[in-house]
Amino acid sequence: MTDRTGECGCGGACGDGDDRLWRTPEDYLRDGPVEAAAEFPKGVRQPALSRRTALKLLAATSLLPAAACAPPPRDIVPYVNMPERVVPGEPLQFATMVTLSGFAQPVLATSREGRPTKLEPNPAYRGAVGTSVFTQGEVLSLYDPDRSRTLLHEGEIASWSELHRTVVERVQPGIAAARGRGLRILTGRVTSPTLLDQLDTLLDRYPGARWHCWEPVDTANEQEGARLAFGRPLEVRPRFDRARRILSLDADFLGPGPAQTANAAAYADGARARARVREMTRLYCVEPSLTITGATAAHRHAVGRGNVAAVAKAVMDALEGQPIDDALPESLTDFVAAAARDLSGHPGEALIVAGRAQPPEVHALVHAINERLGANGRTVSFVAPDAVAARCRPLAPLVREMRAGEVETLVILDGNPVYDAPADLGFGAALREVPFSLHLGLMRNETARACRWHVPALHALESWGDGRTADGQTALQQPLITPLYGGRSPFALLGMLLDPLADFDDVGRRAVRAHWRQASGAADFEAWWSRNLSRGLVEDGARGTVDPGPARRHQGFQPEFEAGRDGAFEAVFLPHPSMWDGRFANNAWLQETPEPLSKLTWGNAALLAPADAEALGVEDGDVVTVMTEEGGFGLPAMVSVGQAPGSVGLFLGYGRLHAGEIGTEIGTDVYPLRRSDALWARPGLALAKGDGRRPLATTQHHHDMHGRDIVRTLDLDAFAAMEPYESHDHPPSLYPDYDYESHAWGMVIDQTVCIGCNACMVACQAENNVPVVGPDEILRGREMHWLRIDRYYKGEPENAETLFQPVTCMHCEKAPCEPVCPVEASVHDSEGLNVQVYNRCIGTRFCQANCPYKVRRFNFFGYGDDQTYENLGEPVYDAVSNPDVSVRSRGVMEKCTYCVQRISRARRTADVEDRPLGPQEVVTACQAACPTRAIVFGDLNNAESPVRVLKDEPHEYALLGELGTRPRTTYLARVRSVNGEVRRP
Amino acid sequence: MSQLFSPRANTVLRSVLGLMVLVPLGSVALGMVLARSSYVTGEGLALPQPVPFSHRHHVGELGIDCLYCHTGATQSDFAGLPPTHTCMTCHSQLWTQAEMLEPVRRSLATDEPLRWNRVHNLPDYVFFSHKVHVNNGVGCTTCHGPVDEMALTAKAEPMTMGWCLDCHRDPAPNLRPPDAITSTDYAPTDGPDGHALLAEYGIDPKNLTDCSLCHR
Repeated sequence: MTDRTGECGCGGACGDGDDRLWRTPEDYLRDGPVEAAAEFPKGVRQPALSRRTALKLLAATSLLPAAACAPPPRDIVPYVNMPERVVPGEPLQFATMVTLSGFAQPVLATSREGRPTKLEPNPAYRGAVGTSVFTQGEVLSLYDPDRSRTLLHEGEIASWSELHRTVVERVQPGIAAARGRGLRILTGRVTSPTLLDQLDTLLDRYPGARWHCWEPVDTANEQEGARLAFGRPLEVRPRFDRARRILSLDADFLGPGPAQTANAAAYADGARARARVREMTRLYCVEPSLTITGATAAHRHAVGRGNVAAVAKAVMDALEGQPIDDALPESLTDFVAAAARDLSGHPGEALIVAGRAQPPEVHALVHAINERLGANGRTVSFVAPDAVAARCRPLAPLVREMRAGEVETLVILDGNPVYDAPADLGFGAALREVPFSLHLGLMRNETARACRWHVPALHALESWGDGRTADGQTALQQPLITPLYGGRSPFALLGMLLDPLADFDDVGRRAVRAHWRQASGAADFEAWWSRNLSRGLVEDGARGTVDPGPARRHQGFQPEFEAGRDGAFEAVFLPHPSMWDGRFANNAWLQETPEPLSKLTWGNAALLAPADAEALGVEDGDVVTVMTEEGGFGLPAMVSVGQAPGSVGLFLGYGRLHAGEIGTEIGTDVYPLRRSDALWARPGLALAKGDGRRPLATTQHHHDMHGRDIVRTLDLDAFAAMEPYESHDHPPSLYPDYDYESHAWGMVIDQTVCIGCNACMVACQAENNVPVVGPDEILRGREMHWLRIDRYYKGEPENAETLFQPVTCMHCEKAPCEPVCPVEASVHDSEGLNVQVYNRCIGTRFCQANCPYKVRRFNFFGYGDDQTYENLGEPVYDAVSNPDVSVRSRGVMEKCTYCVQRISRARRTADVEDRPLGPQEVVTACQAACPTRAIVFGDLNNAESPVRVLKDEPHEYALLGELGTRPRTTYLARVRSVNGEVRRP
Repeated sequence: MSQLFSPRANTVLRSVLGLMVLVPLGSVALGMVLARSSYVTGEGLALPQPVPFSHRHHVGELGIDCLYCHTGATQSDFAGLPPTHTCMTCHSQLWTQAEMLEPVRRSLATDEPLRWNRVHNLPDYVFFSHKVHVNNGVGCTTCHGPVDEMALTAKAEPMTMGWCLDCHRDPAPNLRPPDAITSTDYAPTDGPDGHALLAEYGIDPKNLTDCSLCHR
């Protein structure tokens, strides 16, 4: 094997003659020598022995098996003093919350002998069901061995007492003497009433001090827009449950974010197609990059981010009967006119939402349109913002003051501005000017390394706290586990600035209780406290809505539609559906969760419209260079259906330099492109084809179903008139029928309301100890997810309809996997479960080959056992395992079990209580996590079971039912509420 | 030319042919016998323990009920071992200076748990539930043997899958009425007929051999 430079052993005699040896065209085109593929993929732990030594030992140990037949001896360790309520072996659930971008995500945390292992939605959280992927990932983040473990001073290990002494002797007296001048607090979004209280006290005590907030994915535009329209700051609360016609202007309200579960539940309530229902919510969407909101919409139009304002104005013009700007392309004019007619035909039930990336003027204009549609007060409510929260200032003035040397003391409570602040501010450089800088954070991230002091923080599951949800309810947080790696709460650090000689033990609990003792106004506080703490949400904790008054119209705002200039691209920044702003980079579950549309794992790419990709001459994986005046960088291209021509979609959150062993240097950091005056879109970029290729670890090329009738779609009219699918006439079978006398478990997945958010995938991973395999194994098509979400496109690439289909094991009644197993490891049980017996499996993979749904997963390595990816084999990660589920070893086949451990637990509980199983007693992990209730599971033999009812819907069908497999998991066809006036492209 | 094969060759050949059949069969048989032998199952083998706890004394002679210490048996999958505090309810008053109980006192003083050697050690892929068995008429001594006679605790049954299945295929003979679960001297003739008990407990033996019942 030789490379291009001619080192082929001929001593240069061959000159430039291209007589290199190559195996594949790809090798030929690649610069540099071709490397032999490694035996073990990168990241997999190398065996400690060479193959030869292993064989020798194998021969020697062949005499030993007689002595090794019994399981190894183990011990039993009882408690010294058993805690109250604990019954070893029985899980407990506690109501608490985790946060996303400062907003509370209420959860019920499952605790196993003191270890939190799973987060489930809290039923007390009104209006929301399910959880997000981020919430599901939090239990893994809790145990992350890369979490910061020690206090650091200038990079050296320090102690809390050293920091305390510094603060007592030097810092706090200085602050007190200067009445706070030079003191700056930098936080992310704060919704915790207790922390806001404390900040308020601090700012009052030290009038010169300032509090700044920086949140890379924020709602600043929304707040400013409300101020423009109504003359005062207001929080906007769209009521998707009341809306029948919704127009989203670049608003990914179903997509990732703190309000996702509430929004999705509200939207789905009106969007289900059932035989009795004749009306469905119709969603229109205008956006630059395809999001899951756009994918869910009945009608979507790709428009560059800068042009969405012109679309908003066109909607207003259409409603007012004015002519629509003729700069808009014809298809868009049609779209806007039809949508406007439809919206105005549903007064009081129409709703327009603008996205966080749209400028305040667009939000103000949308408020004016909503007022015209009678939406304000009906489908949109307004809430006065928290008075203390309004005291926080933006990041830019802080950086200015830091640079000017006006900041003596900077306390950063969580967050990572060195990585994610807009590049033009130069936060990292300005930080070096601050004499006393302190960072409190879970990880020793980029900011922790740039600060003089770093204090490890407590994880949400280790600490006391409180917070508000994005829709305004108040949640309480209680710890489930003693802090694993030490750590301090923000209450302790702020408390130290106020009174450095106070007692900081258990400060979080005392602070939260003190706040609520006053705020609750309860006569019997202890009763109030235990009642609300066990619920997890504060009674009547939501602030009331206000009448915003008339929306002012800004006549000066006249956005124009700009047709793209040749060669100039608009960069569109998108929060990543599993990395968010980059804070989840070290979470292996989330790294391996495929992005819902590109199905890309372990990295990001430049999302290009098919036409643009062709013009640039790039294909998936080719490097494209993004050029700005400050410089350029390369990242792999990905041809993306639904991307607006002339724009390039860039996901935030990758290319971290100090994320930890999992997340460091995965993907490409696009924050350097982000400027404080162009936070969400950066026009005028030049793109060029760069050198080389970078493989994209996508999951979409595997499990291709070869163009068969997989996802069925219907228009609402056709649905109303349809004859039921004939999915219950089975082809004959040679195998005898089973009679399922006790239970018959089954599942129905409603593709109309499946938004493809991936919550089910990560919930399944957490519940079933599904291992992470790493990017190289994904490239080999060896992902282990028991539940995948297939994504199909229908129609022209420019304006395709997007379809999501979650695929689990179908638990076929005539399962093709069962008869081919030579050792009967794949068997049927009396309740219709298709069972995989791991301890019998010898790994022939016949079952996988014979499965038409491709849902079986094979452990090519000991992914979950002794050949884990990177540091996932660290002993601390054992704590996140579900003890009810076996950890599978190398060479064993595995697949979805319908959460048999949950069925079994429910059955055991009912059995001990001597009663029959209730119709909704068994809830699978995917079903519990689904924010739209698209997944319904239950007993088909129970007439009261919701799944039984859904099986009789006319649009219920079996995937590949013609094969006669009689799957227990069936689907409801996707029904779209289309507007006949919008021309189909 | 001399003979290639000596007169013994025929005997050797026949023996080798015989052994070619017998050795593989014998090894398989030996393996199967061995796997079921108490050498492998650990049946009857008392493991060393930090405290030589005697069930014979506590159960047989003093008559302490099983559930006094193994509180999880009715409520959890695991019967559980008593926390040090349970031992000390009596032993803070009785035998307070006994050398034998030194590890228990040390555990209480240092807050370090006692580490017992596991006598009944099921593989990780077996999910056994005490509460289901105990609440469905399977008595403690049915599986754990005459605990009240054991000076040192040992496994009384092989606890192999075949042994489990013997009962799962035909549970009736092994059932007891609810009030006799922890009894150490219950005999099947003492109570109602096993089939009556099957009906009383609502057990359908047909589903008791599903793989998913114990493996998941």
